[in-house]
Amino acid sequence: MTGAGAPVAIGVDVGSTTCKAVVVDRAGAILRHRVEPTHPRTEQQTTRILDELRLAVGCELPIGATGYGRKRVPGATKVLTEITCHARGAFSRVKRAVVLVDMGGQDTKIVRIGPGGDVADFAMNDKCAAGTGRFLEVILGRLQVPFDEVSAHVARARRSVPVSSTCTVFAESEVISLVAQGEELEGILRGLHESLAKRVAALAGVLPADARIVMSGGVALNAAMVDALGAALRREVSVLPDPQLVGALGAALSAS
Amino acid sequence: MRSAYVQRQREEHGRKSIVVLPVHYPKEILTAMDVLAVELWGPPGAPRGPEAGRLQAYVCAVVRNALAFLAGGHADVVDAALFPHTCDSVQGLATLVTDFGGWSKPSFVFQHPKGPTRASVRKYLVAELRSLADGLATLTGRPLDVAELRAAIRLHRTIDEVKTRILEGRGRLATSDRELYATLRRGEWLWPEEHLEELRVLERQLPEAGAPARKGVPLFVTGYVPEPMSILDALDEVGAYVARDDWAAIGRRVVTPARALDLEGDPFETLAALYYEAPQCPTRSLDQAGRLQRLLALYDQSGARGVIVHEPKFCEPEAFDVPAIRKAFGERGVPLLYLETELETELAGQTTTRLEAFVEMVGARRVA
Amino acid sequence: MSSTRRRVEYEIVKRLVGPALMQVDHAQRRVKSLRKRAAKPAGPFGPPLESVRKLKELMTRHYLEGRYADGAVPVAWVTSGFPVEVLRPLGYHAVYPENHAALCGVQRVVPHLSEATEEVGYARDLCSYARTDIGSVMLQETPVGRLPKPDLLCCCTNICQTVLYWYRSLAAHFQVPLVLIDPPFVYGEAKPHHRQFVRDQLDELLVVAARVAKRRAPSMDEIVGVTKLAREGTRLWGECLAESRNKPAPWTGIDGFFHIAPIVTLRGTAECNAYYRQLRDELRHRVAQGIGGVREEKHRLLWDNLPIWFDVRGMSTLLAEHGFNFVCTSYTNAWAEAGSRIDPADPLGSAVFAYTDIILNQDLGKRFGTLARLAEEYSCDGAVLHSDRSCKPYSIGQLDLKQRLAKQLDIKVMVLEADHGDPRAYAVEQGHGRLTAFMESFS
Repeated sequence: MTGAGAPVAIGVDVGSTTCKAVVVDRAGAILRHRVEPTHPRTEQQTTRILDELRLAVGCELPIGATGYGRKRVPGATKVLTEITCHARGAFSRVKRAVVLVDMGGQDTKIVRIGPGGDVADFAMNDKCAAGTGRFLEVILGRLQVPFDEVSAHVARARRSVPVSSTCTVFAESEVISLVAQGEELEGILRGLHESLAKRVAALAGVLPADARIVMSGGVALNAAMVDALGAALRREVSVLPDPQLVGALGAALSAS
Repeated sequence: MRSAYVQRQREEHGRKSIVVLPVHYPKEILTAMDVLAVELWGPPGAPRGPEAGRLQAYVCAVVRNALAFLAGGHADVVDAALFPHTCDSVQGLATLVTDFGGWSKPSFVFQHPKGPTRASVRKYLVAELRSLADGLATLTGRPLDVAELRAAIRLHRTIDEVKTRILEGRGRLATSDRELYATLRRGEWLWPEEHLEELRVLERQLPEAGAPARKGVPLFVTGYVPEPMSILDALDEVGAYVARDDWAAIGRRVVTPARALDLEGDPFETLAALYYEAPQCPTRSLDQAGRLQRLLALYDQSGARGVIVHEPKFCEPEAFDVPAIRKAFGERGVPLLYLETELETELAGQTTTRLEAFVEMVGARRVA
Repeated sequence: MSSTRRRVEYEIVKRLVGPALMQVDHAQRRVKSLRKRAAKPAGPFGPPLESVRKLKELMTRHYLEGRYADGAVPVAWVTSGFPVEVLRPLGYHAVYPENHAALCGVQRVVPHLSEATEEVGYARDLCSYARTDIGSVMLQETPVGRLPKPDLLCCCTNICQTVLYWYRSLAAHFQVPLVLIDPPFVYGEAKPHHRQFVRDQLDELLVVAARVAKRRAPSMDEIVGVTKLAREGTRLWGECLAESRNKPAPWTGIDGFFHIAPIVTLRGTAECNAYYRQLRDELRHRVAQGIGGVREEKHRLLWDNLPIWFDVRGMSTLLAEHGFNFVCTSYTNAWAEAGSRIDPADPLGSAVFAYTDIILNQDLGKRFGTLARLAEEYSCDGAVLHSDRSCKPYSIGQLDLKQRLAKQLDIKVMVLEADHGDPRAYAVEQGHGRLTAFMESFS
């Protein structure tokens, strides 16, 4: 860990699917991190993770908490929503005005970050899972395609098979009937990604002509989704480093 | 609580009562005829009974819950029901419960016209108001007394004047949003004179004009009804408050006429004139630009720093104006949050997050 | 471009280009049909209707003329239940956004157009007709080439209140006047002051429409002339539908969804009536010959609510394969019934009744009466009530209507959840599965 500074803060992002924690230095470099599936007993889980991290760095640090379980993080010194934290985390990496698309398990967020790192505007999907990672997860599960193979499948598609339903339940049955009709799996997967990307683009609304798009969240690890989103938004989309940790990073920076 | 109140009103004052669906109706006529209005905005929460299943899931919760409530006998304490012509769904509910079961007591409709600025409207409205009064006379057993209607109009004018002072002075009033709106909403079922007394108590707490504004991030809200009320708590918790509102149930029903009304002439004409003076509401307006102007003016007066557009899901009259509202505020660089709720009793975690993030965003702007 | 030049172009298209194009199309089809020998049963259906060609010609010309209409003649965008008879003598070209959206539905471009609408903040829960047309205006895209810009927006709330909100947004967008006819919903019987209100609004409409068209108000003779045509057209349309009381029905209810276009968009014109005369004669001929809309008609169904435009073909095939036909639909019937009250002796006075007492502006008791009467007149042994996510006024009450229809008429009834325009709100496989199960219950 040469070049890294002293640890200054811990950030915890308790999401609906995974719980993320980071230790950062003054410059915002991530010194240590943890990613685990979220446990129903959030207090116990976060207490344990925090204890481990404190032990590892050997000192007490201010703690920033975010994510849907943010109010159940014992000892948190700063509690902020994931919108604000994702914006801080993303801005510390790009240091310019961008539009952040964060696709997590249950939520998809679009955050317009101003030139000073402020949140200029944001949008989130409604209660329905239609535009979220959950949508993909359900259908990939049904098709028995592992998450880490999906990009390769989509890349092999000779054409896209349109999937019109965006409701998770409808799309599932539509996909099954497409398979039954003998459509190739790769094409269906591509169609599915395009359909989801369109839904996210609708959420984003009308973007300024010069807007730069960056992506975070677990879904950003799926290259096919990044491509589909770029096509739907008609812009290049770049993925932030450690896309899953951006929220926790922002929480840590807010606490420091 | 309301049933007991209705019961007491009957026993102590011999008052008939009538359950009223949202939004606009001539309450003055009811007051003049000694009829207690009990408004039914849902009620919030899960539908009270299986009858909600008689309506599809894409009908708004206000109407589905009302169906379950009426058909489940929860409003049987009142003597009749009144359905204003608010939208297709309330209109459909009126025929559904009366023709297909769910409400067997008398029911009345008030078919207020759309597009108030048209010449044909005034004549029709006066006739419709008289027709409603004639209908209610069959319930009360005596015709409307014109002098009593004039008195009722004066009473409700006074109520609106006090409400206006409270709402305009909101920024100086220390009361929490939850308390303020609870009091304002008690007007949905209290006898108007009692409601006025409670409002006066609030008014007395108003500091002098020029007193320092209360702490917190002031917001402007437009929408339908402040449900769940826990929205107000959520805002309070993160240091924000509603500086002015255009909720259909609250601020949008407070009429402040731009010109003096004739309170001595034909009171039905006075009521029609009030209809012209009423704030623009998407359930009856033809003029989108006029509505936007009013919203922007209210926003400016309120000193708010952000807008929340708070709509019930599936509410067509409200939803069609949302893009124009977004655009109008967007062009002026005003932060705006669109919030959709379904008459749930508690806010979903995700909704709380959105509210909090919005306040974080608006709050950070002042510092910047 | 000068309005005179626009006018000349418009007249050329109307009188020469349109008909010429149709001639070419006719010739091409004749050659094709010589090769193929038409009038054979097509799959599970009876032989196709000859009139379809004429229908296509009429509608193509209507939209083609529309492309050249603005700047040449006054243009009005009009809701389907609007008293258009008042506009025709003033030379208006009437655009029917609902018909346009239906066409977009058939062509499956609704998701694309609607996405543009959703992007600026229109909720996806709103009527898909409105989302489609607003999207079409925003993107300036349409399958018909181009829609002329309106000089006047004409909205009548006898079909829904949605049109009020929708046209209010259009008025803000186009910055043109909006006239409203707001016939109060009829619970029981309409009260005299309700009727008077509609009458007063019609008088206001005459003034505004004339002012926008920059013409003097139409004379009573002119209005009577159009009213006669409208009434005749309505009667003819009713006769076409009534032919399906025969067994087998000479066409399918789903054919009816397409053939309704002229009575909606060209009501009060001679060409509309000529078309329905031809269609009626063809249907009568088929009845005489014993030709059915489906090849083997086993069961006769009633359809309630708008069509599922993007699935009409798929659904009609599914039904025909099982020997089922929608011999009657409350939707197509509405246009035969409303106009029957038009009286040329008192055009405006009768319009009050014609445009107030329509199925969607009346209480559910009357709606039930209409459905029950239709089911009997057309000898239906079942009914499908389309619960249309995009049309609340038509769908509210259907779950009760279902119970009552099944009980009082002793027929099988199902409710089908779908949408009239947006395929994203409907799972075709599931819908067809339900319909199939429903049909299986008849054996």
